Amino acid sequence: MIKWLRSESFTAWAFMTPGLLLLAVFVFWPIIYSIPLALTDYSVISDTHYVGLDNFEAAFKDRNFLISIWNSLVYVLIVPFLQIFSILMAVLVNSRIPGIKIFRTTYYIPVVTSMVAVALIWSWLLGNNSVVNYLLMQAGLISKDIHWLSDSSLALYVLMFITMWKGLGYYMMLYLAGLQNIPQDLYEAARVDGASRWRLIVHITLPLLRPYVLFCTLISLMAAIRVFDEVYVLTKGGPGTATLTSSLYIFQKGMEQFNFGYASALGLIVGVVIAVLSIIVFRFNRKGGINPY
Amino acid sequence: MTKKAKGRLRLLVSMLVLVVLLSSCGGGGKKPENVNGGKVTLQFWTIALQPTFTPYFNRVIADYEEKNPNVKIDWKDYPYDAVTNKLLTSIASGSSPDVVNLNTEFASQMGSKGAVVDMNEHLSPEEKAAYFDGIYNSTVINGKAYALPWYTGTEVLYMNTKLVKEAGLDPAHPPKTREELSEWGRQVNRKIGKAGYAQQLVSKLFAIDGIPILNKEKTAAAFNTPEAVTMIDNLKKQMEDGVVLKEDAEFSQQVKYYAGEQVAFELAGPTFINFIKTAAPDVYKNTIAVPVPTGKADVRLSNTMDLVVPTKSAHVNEAVKFAVFLTNAESQTAFSKAANTLPSTKDSIKDPYFTQSDQSLEAQAKVVSAQSLDKATDYMVGVPNAKDVNSAVTRAFQNIILNGTDTKQTLTALEQEVNDILKQ
Repeated sequence: MIKWLRSESFTAWAFMTPGLLLLAVFVFWPIIYSIPLALTDYSVISDTHYVGLDNFEAAFKDRNFLISIWNSLVYVLIVPFLQIFSILMAVLVNSRIPGIKIFRTTYYIPVVTSMVAVALIWSWLLGNNSVVNYLLMQAGLISKDIHWLSDSSLALYVLMFITMWKGLGYYMMLYLAGLQNIPQDLYEAARVDGASRWRLIVHITLPLLRPYVLFCTLISLMAAIRVFDEVYVLTKGGPGTATLTSSLYIFQKGMEQFNFGYASALGLIVGVVIAVLSIIVFRFNRKGGINPY
Repeated sequence: MTKKAKGRLRLLVSMLVLVVLLSSCGGGGKKPENVNGGKVTLQFWTIALQPTFTPYFNRVIADYEEKNPNVKIDWKDYPYDAVTNKLLTSIASGSSPDVVNLNTEFASQMGSKGAVVDMNEHLSPEEKAAYFDGIYNSTVINGKAYALPWYTGTEVLYMNTKLVKEAGLDPAHPPKTREELSEWGRQVNRKIGKAGYAQQLVSKLFAIDGIPILNKEKTAAAFNTPEAVTMIDNLKKQMEDGVVLKEDAEFSQQVKYYAGEQVAFELAGPTFINFIKTAAPDVYKNTIAVPVPTGKADVRLSNTMDLVVPTKSAHVNEAVKFAVFLTNAESQTAFSKAANTLPSTKDSIKDPYFTQSDQSLEAQAKVVSAQSLDKATDYMVGVPNAKDVNSAVTRAFQNIILNGTDTKQTLTALEQEVNDILKQ
């Protein structure tokens, strides 16, 4: 016992325990508890009855839920763009140009701004008779107002753009950390061998950034499927179901309509979708890279 | 079994034990008694009324406690966005409040789940007769009244006289019907390039034209009619013609458009005045209030705040008694004077406060809307699972009007969706 108390593993566990306890109460426990809940008609405010797999059966027949899953999958399309642009921005701000810190800070401002505030600003920029329409009209690019957020063919892509605009700075910082971890002597050796700037990026920067790409791809993928704030503030899932995402639909079913049993079932299904997509990303990124830790 | 597998099994078993232990800590146990030395403490919750109306509530609570020495009122106020979560968590943890202020939609939703007390069981016929019938019946589902109506508001038509005159229209002879309002909007759009008004796409649009949302028994959708198709197609055309802004505009958006003089009219309750006064003082100066143009049904729709008593309250009788006191004519008249709202009790509007106007915009709006309370009805009258029905209807309206789906087909699909909701 004394021996164990002095061991490294005890120290590690001692440091991890507070965090693990918080995770257990606020993350693991709700996830586990949602499994029995999904088998009931739990609504908090009235009596609960066991309904078996009815909620799951209803979910796969629920047109709005299937649309919301599809919209969430479409939302995942921002992931590659987010990675490409944030890597490019990271490479840009990694250079030693005077005043580059100002750019780094500027790109990071949207990240630390509340999503609700960001969404409200965009709603003013994109609403009826908006600034964006005015500027486009002045430039002669459009002849009449574009309904950015109430046109079903545009609304989802506008929301995706806003999410990407807000997230770029965050992923740029992660990639910047990755870039600054790459040993400089690798670049020097390659330059001595006559490698061009392009070859340095393709054969050194990108392969050594792979672990970061994997990490950023995973978290941005999960964030894309779980997107909620901007959709809730800007469109509430509308027009119709054009921007109805899975998180928003689960919120509506649970918090607005008190069908917590059904909402739990939907949450579990979405959890499985995220897990499957994460496994696919892992498979693609099996090889390559150096351990950055 | 390998060491690794044993470890995993151990971890799984530990987790399950943890779940079982935590489950036993859950709420739903015995109700708290809330009794101190023979005194009953009632938890009373309101929405966004502190600190502005604190003096009124302190007075009314002190008055009630004096008349009922065995009762103590513990008043708490929550923001609109937080009250739902707070109520759910309180009920889940077994410490339900006793009297709660909710809107009609939320009260109906809770009533459908059997979570609030049926007021018809507790009120005498005289007590029930004190309220305007149309408003009292707004939360009656299957003969059970799930709330007592409290303060209310009916829409009036706010008009930007500057824009209206620029469009060559005479504000002294305002539009009286929705068709006339539409013509005015068309002229505003043609002459000065602004829209007539902004509109939220909600089930209220059915009620304005007298299209029933549900059948008499409240068991099935009843809106899939040629009249509904005409009404929706007409609104769609108005949006395309610039008479109505092409958007599903929530109230906050409507305030923004009116304040920015992007629309000439606004259909809203008395609270709209406060927003305009703050957001655009110049527009406020040019605004007048006139009776709301009516649709085919010729009804005035109310938007009511209610008081409910959750079934999980530990003191149902005392709670109902306090709710009746707070919503009686005397209390409501006093609150209306303090808060510039309308009462839901018949005797209150006999007070000179609701009949005399000093010609200010607030007074105009108050008198105009108070005189239409006897015709007022809530548009979600007796709709079970009102929130589910409303979101389905809104989605369908958006699909037809903004996304261009076929009206008849979408209404048929909506009918099926609403019928499924009613079966829940």
